[in-house]
Amino acid sequence: MTIVNFLIYFLIMVGIYALLAMSLNLQVGYAGLINFGQVVFFCIGAYTSSLLATKTGLPLLFCFLLAMIVSGFFGYVMSIPTKSLKSDYWAIATLAAAEVFRLVALNEGWLTGGPFGVMSIPQPLRFLFSMENYPLFYLFLVTLCVIIVFFALALITDSPFGRDLKAIREEEDLCLSLGKNTRKLKLEAMVVGGMVGGLAGALFAHYVTFISPENFWPIETFLLWAMIIVGGRGNHAGAILGAALIQIFNVSTRFIGEYVSLGSDSMASLRMVIIGFLIIIFVSYRPEGIIKEKKKVYDPRNIR
Amino acid sequence: MEIVQIIINSLIRASELSLLALGLTMVFDILKFANFAHTDYALLGAFLAYSFSQALGLPLIVSVMIAAGLTGLFGIGIDKVLYKRLRTIGVQPVSLMIVSMGVEIALRNILRLIWSSETKTYPIAVVKPLEILGARITMLQLEIITVGFLSMVAFHILLHKTTFGKALRAISDNRALASACAIDSEKMIRWMWFIASAYGVIGGTMIAMEHVLYPRLGFNILIPVFCAAILGGIGNPYGAVLGALILAFAENVVLALDLKWLLNLGGLFHFESIQINTGYKPAVSFLILILVLLFKPTGLLRKE
Repeated sequence: MTIVNFLIYFLIMVGIYALLAMSLNLQVGYAGLINFGQVVFFCIGAYTSSLLATKTGLPLLFCFLLAMIVSGFFGYVMSIPTKSLKSDYWAIATLAAAEVFRLVALNEGWLTGGPFGVMSIPQPLRFLFSMENYPLFYLFLVTLCVIIVFFALALITDSPFGRDLKAIREEEDLCLSLGKNTRKLKLEAMVVGGMVGGLAGALFAHYVTFISPENFWPIETFLLWAMIIVGGRGNHAGAILGAALIQIFNVSTRFIGEYVSLGSDSMASLRMVIIGFLIIIFVSYRPEGIIKEKKKVYDPRNIR
Repeated sequence: MEIVQIIINSLIRASELSLLALGLTMVFDILKFANFAHTDYALLGAFLAYSFSQALGLPLIVSVMIAAGLTGLFGIGIDKVLYKRLRTIGVQPVSLMIVSMGVEIALRNILRLIWSSETKTYPIAVVKPLEILGARITMLQLEIITVGFLSMVAFHILLHKTTFGKALRAISDNRALASACAIDSEKMIRWMWFIASAYGVIGGTMIAMEHVLYPRLGFNILIPVFCAAILGGIGNPYGAVLGALILAFAENVVLALDLKWLLNLGGLFHFESIQINTGYKPAVSFLILILVLLFKPTGLLRKE
């Protein structure tokens, strides 16, 4: 693999993780929903789109859209218990839900191919490009998605809806007492988050053309957590920065691994040890992350 | 499967899980956060016990006790370095939970770094299982049930017959009032960490002895342990035991059930015997957990 090809692969992965991180950030950073099962959207999006494409031969655009709709629907399902559960309990439940989905993917071989996964997933507009140029086109596609999602989310979070979400994060009871329907707001945050996560899953599946339950371990969720904690919660740029930094870290340690005689297993563990420490250190000493959330101060004189 | 066998298997599983759930429920009750690293502390102890018995040639029971003591100190150490500081600056318990997630990732991979991800077995002689009423049980499993039962009794005495137990219950009821009565709550919290971690080590080692020891085991038993603690009612040690019992029975019964009668609808159809795929064994605890959280998040037993 040449450097250029590798760089393109790397940037595509940054883009996909940036989408996932932004989606998690909407739930965690804005609405204060502690989602430990974010990987479930990635999983559902990837499987929905790839299964539709390989089994029914539906046009890929519809596969992508359906992947987003199904993930969004699951976001709705996950938001139902938020009305009665404390955040700790909900976090544990999301972790469990994500594992249930991975087990379903692993055990229902007739549908998902079980441990062998889904193979030869078609790629969008593959016939238009040569073998060498296709990754470049895919990078363009992913970047386009990141840009659209970034501005769409920015539009949403700068609207009154975004301010309401932040109010839930800060003081849910106060928000309720102001007559806000906090349950509906959380639901909307989860649905939007789910749709973006599903989009990332579909983009991933159609890029790598092979997915299996191995891609959807809970550790993916915690990588995403590391991204938003390091990059900065409560702002979309922070999520993208975090995704890039953690991916650079991942890749660079892989290169270092070739020169240090540690063995790939030890290197992988060492990498995760550092990710764990990053989470601990940032939450303890710099909870706002690298890019601080901009606090808007409203001048009371202007509000009339 | 024979009913007696199901009962025996469930008792074994319950002995293991309840020792782990005890510590989890205590920490959750007193410090108000879900400690995601709890089962990894237990695994640290299990690996230490393995090394003591292998490298130093100590008898297994002595190595487990030393490992439990050391892991207890480790629990205190982590509290001193991370959680105590966050407690005193008054961050939300949710942040403590995220930090514990970081500890979980780091610790699990440190274990993998030191002991590698290869599975290990304790030096236990394989003996012919005993036969009780047509069910098989090994000497080890008999010991597991005995140790589990004795540990419960010890815990009960500790909680109800000692000043420490009284002080701990006082802190759990009302921290401010307990401080006003000259109970050093920080000291009690240190002891609580010690006991929670040490008890976890006994439970974790028993699971590893019965099956095999590998670094991921801690994460794999996390959800069942949470499930047992929440099912029984957080903060109630007897609830943790009850939760472990119910979960253990559910796990064994669901997989042994023949769904034939259900699908045949009283002779309407003629399906061959249908059983739930054993790959779904972990899903049993996930689903029970989700159901409990949805319908009775306070658990079965109220806090005393």
